[in-house]
Amino acid sequence: MIDFAIYSVTVIAIWSVLALSLNLQFGMTGLVNFGQILPFAIGSYAAGIGASLGYPWWVGATAALIFAPLFSLAVILPAQRLSQDYWALITLGAAEIFRLTMLNTPSFAGGADGLNVPRFGDSLTALYVSLGLLAVSFFFAERVSRSPFGRMLRVLREDEVLASTLGRNPIRYQASISAAAWIMAAAAGVAYGHFSGYVAPTSFTVTETFIIWTAVILGGPGRNIGVVCGAIIIQLLGVSSRFVAQWVDLPSDLIANLRLASFGLILVVMFIYRPQGLIPEAREVHDAERD
Amino acid sequence: MRSWLSITLAGALATAGMLSVAQAADPIPVGVIANLTGQDVKTSLQMTRGVELAADDINAAGGINGQPIKLIVEDSEYRAQEALNAATKLYTVDKVEAAIMFGGSSLMIPVAQLAKEQGKVLINTSSSSPKLGEYPGTLFSILPLDDILAKDLGNLVAESGAKTAAVIVPNNAFGLGVAEAAAAAFKAKGGTIVETVAYTEGQPNYRADIQVLASKKPDAIITCGYGDDSRTILRTVRELGIDAPWYAAYPSILEVENPEWMNGKLSGVDNGGYAQGVGKAVLDKYKAKYKEDDILAHVYYGYDAMMVLAEAMKKGGTDAASIAKTMPEVVKSYEGASGKIVWDDRGQRIDPPLDIITYKDGKFETTGTKN
Repeated sequence: MIDFAIYSVTVIAIWSVLALSLNLQFGMTGLVNFGQILPFAIGSYAAGIGASLGYPWWVGATAALIFAPLFSLAVILPAQRLSQDYWALITLGAAEIFRLTMLNTPSFAGGADGLNVPRFGDSLTALYVSLGLLAVSFFFAERVSRSPFGRMLRVLREDEVLASTLGRNPIRYQASISAAAWIMAAAAGVAYGHFSGYVAPTSFTVTETFIIWTAVILGGPGRNIGVVCGAIIIQLLGVSSRFVAQWVDLPSDLIANLRLASFGLILVVMFIYRPQGLIPEAREVHDAERD
Repeated sequence: MRSWLSITLAGALATAGMLSVAQAADPIPVGVIANLTGQDVKTSLQMTRGVELAADDINAAGGINGQPIKLIVEDSEYRAQEALNAATKLYTVDKVEAAIMFGGSSLMIPVAQLAKEQGKVLINTSSSSPKLGEYPGTLFSILPLDDILAKDLGNLVAESGAKTAAVIVPNNAFGLGVAEAAAAAFKAKGGTIVETVAYTEGQPNYRADIQVLASKKPDAIITCGYGDDSRTILRTVRELGIDAPWYAAYPSILEVENPEWMNGKLSGVDNGGYAQGVGKAVLDKYKAKYKEDDILAHVYYGYDAMMVLAEAMKKGGTDAASIAKTMPEVVKSYEGASGKIVWDDRGQRIDPPLDIITYKDGKFETTGTKN
């Protein structure tokens, strides 16, 4: 049982980093990123390609941390004059383009067969790396949230025109926070690659992006501790429902469908009765002169 | 005093006897990982039912040296993360020594890595990636490798008299493996591949991918696929007016879209040996228990996977190391629902019995056999 607990906490930590990354973009800044799985995939593939070329793990990790922010700028800068609806479409499309590129370049990225990635030496190493990554990400996200920079991100989220009238360049803030958020997600992707030991295009679909979104919306957009709680709940629901299903003496296919249905039902009920999230963003009042 | 001693001794012996009976009757957990939700559910569910039928037979015959089999079925949702969740639960919480799995290589390989790390056994009933051979002693395949079956498919197309062929396959390890091996065999017999379409699964329409075939006018179409995608592909080809005969790897797992149009036009190579012996018995049991006639090959793979595992447990012991050691020995004398199973030294199935089947009057007929 302890092995399963270690495994589950590792998974939760990795997905919490992804949720924090999306929270920086959507929760704080209002950037609707429907391709959040892209930086995660970049991280995993960097680990996989680095390993397939015979490089040590840190080469893949470094490549991920370099390429992820560059990709974020390549995706976001062309969209700077577009509204949020288009951001959603562009990021969604970019993630699919990346996935299909990996699928159709077997000599480089393994294609449909995917790539093997050296696994962490043992489960405790995976746990410590993932928790360490979560701690660093959470600390960073909190620092951003409480800083003047973070307050300006919230101004942008509420009203871009207002931010501009204050003499701020919205796209600079948006690009900066996106680059930072994508580095976090790419680092989670590297950890995931070494944790699962394998990367393939099927692991980075739109479904995964919406699992991250569910965690953020459930936990409370704009609140770091909230989205971490959201990620914990989403992952624990998935894991715990397996044990509940095992106690019920019904046909296996019916149990599988009931399990997913109950999972969805819980989320729908949460969204109806707690639309602001479990731990909503706190209203803050600042004295401009003292700040 | 002596009578009290006798009673106490008798009581102790009876208790010990009851305990040993209880221990002997403790069920042996066996894991099953299948995508019971997500994509390709029908095939996956039938594999699971095949395992259940085998477990019923084993338990009815006294179990594994007196211990019944207890199946623990976990859903993978056809997602790698959930497959890992399922496998980790089975191996570390439920303490299964072996799991039987349905799923593509993107699910099977990470689970195989986990099984190897945990010192457990994984039996594959669905995936055919060459990478599966990298886990000898951990991963054993009941499903034959695609390149064997696809080579016969390529030969079948050439023997039909076709000089040109187009290939339409899903862009995944299964599809690309079939495409490569079938095309190589066809070309080796003088045929020409005029076009290869590797489509991305899950699209509502494949007209853009397939349109190019209309001008190439191939004598035959080589294909493989499953589920709703195969139905959409067939409909698109029919709507484009392409009237070439179809040759498929595992034609029985295609979803025939228009039985009238497809009548006599679809044939291919499938795993053989189901029509008689154990296969026939499994078919009858399946129909009786699940009230279904539309049965796919994966019922037999699931059945054979459980049976081979049970035989290994009976003869060598129920721990993973013993199972891994005994299974290759057991399989040599095993005549299963999917025919005789021959493994190479990595535990991958080679040289399976094959049937050539043709779609006629709404069902498949066996028109040739290769043993």
